[in-house]
Order: sequence, then C-alpha cells, then structure tokens
Amino acid sequence: MFLLWLRVAVVLYGLASVATMAAVFGHHPRWQRVCMPIAILAWFFHGISCTEMLAMAHRWVPAGMHEVQSMLALLIATVFLLIAWRYRTLSFGIFALPLAFLLTVVPSLGLDRYAFKSPLIRSGWLFVHITGLLVAYAALIFSLTASLLYLIQERRLKNKRSPGFMAWLPPLETMDQIAETTLVVGFCGMTIGLFAGSLLAQERYGSVYFADPKIWLSFLMWGLYVVMLFVRRSKGLRGLRAVYVSSLVFLAMLSVWAANVFSSVHRFGAP
Amino acid sequence: MKILLTGLNHKTAPVELRERLAIAPEKLADETQALLLHPGIREGLILSTCNRVELLICHEDHDPGLAAYLNRHFAVDAQVLQPHLYEYRDAEAVRHLFRVASSLDSMVVGEPQILGQVKESYTAARSVGAVGPGLERLLQSTFAAAKKVRTETQIGASSVSIASVAVDLARKIFGSLEGKRVLLVGAGKMSELAARHLMQQGAGSLLIANRTQERAVRLAQKFDGHVVRFDDLYARADEADILITSTGSAEFLIRTPHAQQFLQRRRNRPMFLIDIAVPRDVDPEINRLEGIFLYDIDDLQSVAASNLADRGGEARRAEAILEQEVIRYQRRMETLDVVPALVDLQAAAEEIRQAEMRRNHGRLRSLSPAQLEVIESITRSLMSKFLHQPLQTLKAAAREGDAAAVEAIRAAFQRNGRDDAGSVAAEQAKTETDTAADGASPQRGSSESFVVKR
Repeated sequence: MFLLWLRVAVVLYGLASVATMAAVFGHHPRWQRVCMPIAILAWFFHGISCTEMLAMAHRWVPAGMHEVQSMLALLIATVFLLIAWRYRTLSFGIFALPLAFLLTVVPSLGLDRYAFKSPLIRSGWLFVHITGLLVAYAALIFSLTASLLYLIQERRLKNKRSPGFMAWLPPLETMDQIAETTLVVGFCGMTIGLFAGSLLAQERYGSVYFADPKIWLSFLMWGLYVVMLFVRRSKGLRGLRAVYVSSLVFLAMLSVWAANVFSSVHRFGAP
Repeated sequence: MKILLTGLNHKTAPVELRERLAIAPEKLADETQALLLHPGIREGLILSTCNRVELLICHEDHDPGLAAYLNRHFAVDAQVLQPHLYEYRDAEAVRHLFRVASSLDSMVVGEPQILGQVKESYTAARSVGAVGPGLERLLQSTFAAAKKVRTETQIGASSVSIASVAVDLARKIFGSLEGKRVLLVGAGKMSELAARHLMQQGAGSLLIANRTQERAVRLAQKFDGHVVRFDDLYARADEADILITSTGSAEFLIRTPHAQQFLQRRRNRPMFLIDIAVPRDVDPEINRLEGIFLYDIDDLQSVAASNLADRGGEARRAEAILEQEVIRYQRRMETLDVVPALVDLQAAAEEIRQAEMRRNHGRLRSLSPAQLEVIESITRSLMSKFLHQPLQTLKAAAREGDAAAVEAIRAAFQRNGRDDAGSVAAEQAKTETDTAADGASPQRGSSESFVVKR
C-alpha cells in the first residue's frame, strides 16, 4: 500500500511543481492559491508512505537506496514547507518541489533490489545517524540554493535596467536568513549524525573502521562545515564568496554520498 | 430607471476649472443630499478627487439636466463649463465607472487610491440615503470589477513614482523596512520627500546630516529623527541601512574607500544608497562593491519609466476584463428586469392550482392525508414542468436583450393584480356553486381555470 501512497505523492509533487512555477513566474493568483495545498497534500501522502513502509518492516531506518531517496525527498519537502510558512515565499518551491518529484520517481516504481541486511538496522543509534545526516543534506541543499539566489538577486539589483526580470526573487535579507538558518540546522544534523555513527562504529567495529577513506571524507566535510560557519558568522560572508564556500561543502557532501559505493566498510546500497 | 454619469476630469478640463467644482470629503454627504433634491433624480453619488468631479445618478425617463445643475450649484458659467463636460448613459456610464474605479482612467494608470475614493463617495451617499437598489447593484459590481482587475493583472504591482521605486528597491534588499535606519545627507526637498515615504512604509528611525545645522534640527523635529554632525558623517554613516544624499556639493562626498569602511564596520550587511543630488554626491564606482546598492536619480527614473511601460500592457488586459464585466452587469440587469414577471407568473399558477384543489375538495374528502399529499405533490410538479420552459425562455430572452420575445411571453401570460383578484373571486364563487350542485365536470372546471390568465 505504501507504494500506492508514494505514487500519489509523486503525482502531487509533479502538479505542485507546475503550479508553483506558474505562481512564481506568472504571478497568477489562482496558481498561488492552489500550489501550497497541493504541496502539503503531496507531503502528507509521502509521509504516510514512509511511515507505512518503515512500520511494515518493523524498523525506523531506511534500508536501501530507494528508501533513503524517498526519505531525503520528504525532508526536502518539509524544509520547503517550513520556509514557505516562515518567510512567506514560494520561490524555493521551483527548486525543491521538482527535486522532491525527481527523487521519488524511481522509489515509486518498485521495491529496492538490495537492502541493508545488518542486525544494526533496528538500532536507535543508526536511526539518529542516518536521520541526522539526511537533515544535513536537505538543509545544505537549501543553503546552497539560497546563496545562489542571493547572488542572482544581487546582480539584478546592481544591473538596474531590468526591474521586471526575475522579479519573483525574494529579498536579499530573506535569502541571507534562509541560507544561514539552514546552514546552522544542517550543521547540527551533521554533528549529531556523525557523532551517533562514530559511537556505533567504535562499539561495533573498533578503531579500524575510522581508517576508511569514506569516513575520513565525512569528517573532512564536517571540518569544512565548521570553517564555513565560522567565516560566515565572523566576516558576514555573502554574495559570491558565500556561494563558493557553500558549493565547496556541497561538493564534499556529494563526494561523501558517492563514496558509499567505493567504501569497504560503509557500503549499504550494493550487494 | 436609467443611469447617467456627467463630469469632467484631468483629460477634459484644466485644474482651474476642476478646483472650482471640487468638493471637500467632509462636504460630500451634504452635496449628495443637495443633488437628490434636483427634480427627476432617484439615486445619486458624487465622486470628487483632485483629477475628477463626476455625478452619477439613477433617474426617471426624462433627462434631469445635470449640466444645468452643475452651472447653478457651482456658479460656473454654462459656456465655460459645457465644453469640458462629458456625459455617459446606461452601458457607457457603467463602462466609464468600471474604468474609473479600476484606475484605467487615472492620470497614473494603476494607482491604487481611486478605488478608495469611489468607496468613500459610496459611503457618503449611503449615509444620506442616496443609494437605492439601482446604484447599490451598480457600485457592488464596480467594486467587484475593480478587484478582479487588481487580482488578475499586474496593473498596480510596480511602482511608477521615484519615491515608491526607492521604497520597492529597499524592500527587495531588506524585505521589510521595519527597524531600518535611514540617513539623510542634505536636507533638501527631494530627500525629505523620499524620507517621508520610507518612514510611512515603516522605516525605523531617521538620522539627518546637513551642513546647516539648523535645517537638520528642523527636519529632525518634523520626523522625530536625530541630527548627526556633518563632520561625523563618515564615522556614523555605517549605522544607516539606507542613505539618501542630496547636497549641493560639486564633488563626490562618498567614494569607494568610504564605502569599504562602511561595509567593514557593518560586517558586510547590505547598504542601499540613493543619490538624488545633481551633480551627484556618490561616486558611481562604489556600486561595484559587494553589498552596496547605489541608485542615482536617473536610475530611479529609468526603473519608474520601465514600470510605467509594463502597466500599458497590463492596462490592455484590464480593458478586456472590464468589457466582460460590463456585459455581465448588463445581463444581470436584464434578468432582474424580468424578475417581477417571473414571480408573478409563478404566483398566478400557484393560485390557480390551489383554487382547483379547493374546488375539488368535496370529491377528495374520502382520501387519506397521505393520498392528499401525493395529489398536492403531483399538481405542484405538473405546474413546475408546465412553467419551466416559458420561464427559461423569458430569462434567456432577457439575457440576450430580445425585447420582442420578452414581450411575447409576457403577453401570453399577462395578468394584473385586479384581474387576478377578480378571477380568483370568480373561481371561488364558481367552486361554491359547483360544490353545491355537486354535478359540475371537473375536467371543464380545470381547463377554464387555466384560461383565466388575461
């Protein structure tokens, strides 16, 4: 049944994406009225699907690539809804909703062929580890998006000659606040996730686990995150430089994600 | 009842004439009451703004001669007034009113104040009982049409004045202006105007730096602001989120090194500089710095002009919407015209049905209440089905303005109150006779009762 709910959510994410684009680019009040209810409905069915999927499996940890993708999409949709509610802007929907749609398309087609079979799957620490890191990924995606939009808006305001062009962009200060808040939330998620994962690995495998390049890369990403937060807060980093730093951490994040495939000890997606 | 709109506006009359006819808001109710006293006027409303004075009335068949009223009431010579007056009747008056309320007839197309002014006139007219069903329907449709134009087009979305462009830009940078600090460098008229606009939009506080300290103090008192000594300008400019300069300085007052210092002290928080001085006070090069947004008077004017051009396109969309709204209003009015006929027709049919039921009461006496209820239901249903097509045709003919068809249907079913009463009384008398004789054919009685409809 959870696949059916997920398929409903995919369709609704698709519709919400179209409605949000029409609302943001076309300034049409009808679309502005419908896009949020559709997005909330999509999120609701997606939430039901994830809950049912995990409840049926008697675990709270996503145990395969499809499940992880679906959970990440749910978190992205959640962050978007929170931003839309807090900052009264739909603009982030033109990125977040299509991304949620794309991330859920493949999981909605069928079950995972390979799943993580370890007995650890019912460990509370593993739940904290995975959820913390997924929150960090979702938050970092929004932080990078906000920094990019900030840059575009800054260029637009300096250009002066095209007031109507990209008028849908939110104010600079709003994007700065979103970029900073999501960065802090992501940092908390990453710290908690890494800490829980490290404790689990230390207890289960001992120090040999930490010799793996994937694990090193994870800590490097965390270090970069700390540096970026420090520089941003102390120097008030904005605009182009903020984009560079956010992109660097984002690239590191993608490398860590990709390193799952090459890691000898942290390898869950493949047989 | 007919609609007539007469008046003059910025396109037809010079300001010298408009100001002679202008009515202060507090006198609007009294003037509307005076208008109602004019012979032939049933309902009335006066719209008076700095750009127009218009009288909108509902009147009887004969023309009440509003031009004469204006001449007499405002003591303006007819020869002076007449060439500047326009007059719209019925559908044209509706169209004009819709355009006025939607700001398509304004000097600055899309400006939002006019709808509020129309609503004020409506309130004043209502307060003196000058708004009856005719104007009520027209004005409610006007407000709905204006709202539709606002929501379905972008006609009022962009700013077209220098001051409002500055506020819009500040909002694009800071989001809300709440708590933002504005620094005026130079206490000229233009900067005062811009500062007033920013403060009205919620800017938090105002700092004023001027070479002549007294003028700065005067302005600070006016806006409840604080004076900054001109010598301290560079030391304190970073406190401001928005800086407006309008000094008479022949050289740049603020250059790149100054702006770099400001940014450093503000930890790169953005700063919006509005340079409305000619010659300019701020070196344009500083716009290259990240976090500095500099707009001079030409930039602001260019944004305003671009927004104004955008409004032209939106105005065309708005005209199309209003055309539909005028048609909808007319159809509604035409349908309303036949409502009394529809009601009368239904009432007459129901009377006949009830008379038939009473006439046959004796024969139906043996039936149980449930069976009687079934007969009631059947006769009602028959009546509705019989009337359905004529009523629909009447409505459609009214909607399409097919006067001949409306008249034909009315003639086919025509009846007036006295005839009805007479026929019903005759029916009742006949029923009593029939019941007493207890031998009349129910079929004959039934068919006769449908004939009595003239």
